[in-house]
Amino acid sequence: MIEVRLFATFREGREKIVYFKPEEVKTAGDIIHALNIPEEEVAICLINGFHSKLDAEVKDADVLAVFPPVGGG
Amino acid sequence: MAAENRYSRQLLISQLGEAGQEKLARSCVTVVGCGGLGSPVLTYLTLAGVGHIRLVDCDTVSETNLNRQFLYREQDIDQSKSRQAALFLKERNSKIRLEPIEAVLTEENAEQILQGSDVVVDCVDRISVRRLVGHACQKLEISLIEGGIHGFYGYVLPVQPGKSACLECLETNRAKENLPVPALGAVAGLIGSIQAVECMKVLLNLDGVHFGTLLQYDGIYGEFEEIPVKIRPDCSCQK
Repeated sequence: MIEVRLFATFREGREKIVYFKPEEVKTAGDIIHALNIPEEEVAICLINGFHSKLDAEVKDADVLAVFPPVGGG
Repeated sequence: MAAENRYSRQLLISQLGEAGQEKLARSCVTVVGCGGLGSPVLTYLTLAGVGHIRLVDCDTVSETNLNRQFLYREQDIDQSKSRQAALFLKERNSKIRLEPIEAVLTEENAEQILQGSDVVVDCVDRISVRRLVGHACQKLEISLIEGGIHGFYGYVLPVQPGKSACLECLETNRAKENLPVPALGAVAGLIGSIQAVECMKVLLNLDGVHFGTLLQYDGIYGEFEEIPVKIRPDCSCQK
């Protein structure tokens, strides 16, 4: 399974952690689209702690972490 | 027993003591952004006795700041933030040097403004300014304490130049910036306080600074999470 950890506002109306079967998705972007998150709202996307573009491929046992932008208050 | 003074209670902290207090007194910290995060960061560094604090902000106080930016009063509206913040802080610790810098940070002046800092604390709104601060700190080899908030959420990321992941290592996707960012005073207070703690740990050369770890706070769930983040080999911080 691919584990997707959502942070901040991406958790609103969704679970904190979502799982995908490897055969369901090919890229990080596929996951973002499946979760109905607009691409332009993704500030940080990590795969196993490494930066990732949305066209990066995902595989079984990967952990994605996805964040929106923040401000200085 | 030594006479009590304003630092007596923190001198009791084993990791601090007289030697640590002297280190703080000899330190220079630049805080970029005197808003919601800057308010607690500046206050706690001032009260702790950091000897030289630079306050960088080009904005003036507005009414919309008053729900969270406790450095300012209603009568400060339209006044320079960096100058008003310095006045507020000077009344709380007259023994340190507070240097307001009323400037827009640009590629041309960033290194000049940040030079000489032992630590820079990033408390700005705009991603473009965060990148500017990050690049200058990398070049000057100054530790940087990043922080950000969004409503009930926030994060802190301490950066050790060239040795731990920087914001540019992470921020590969050019997200659309929706300003103003939703901001709750209590969350800014919490995240800014953590930034101040991490800053003092760097100044005191303590172990346990969260370099390479994104510390994420979720106020809705009441949770902290640590997310290890790794250097991007082709990032500008590695050149």
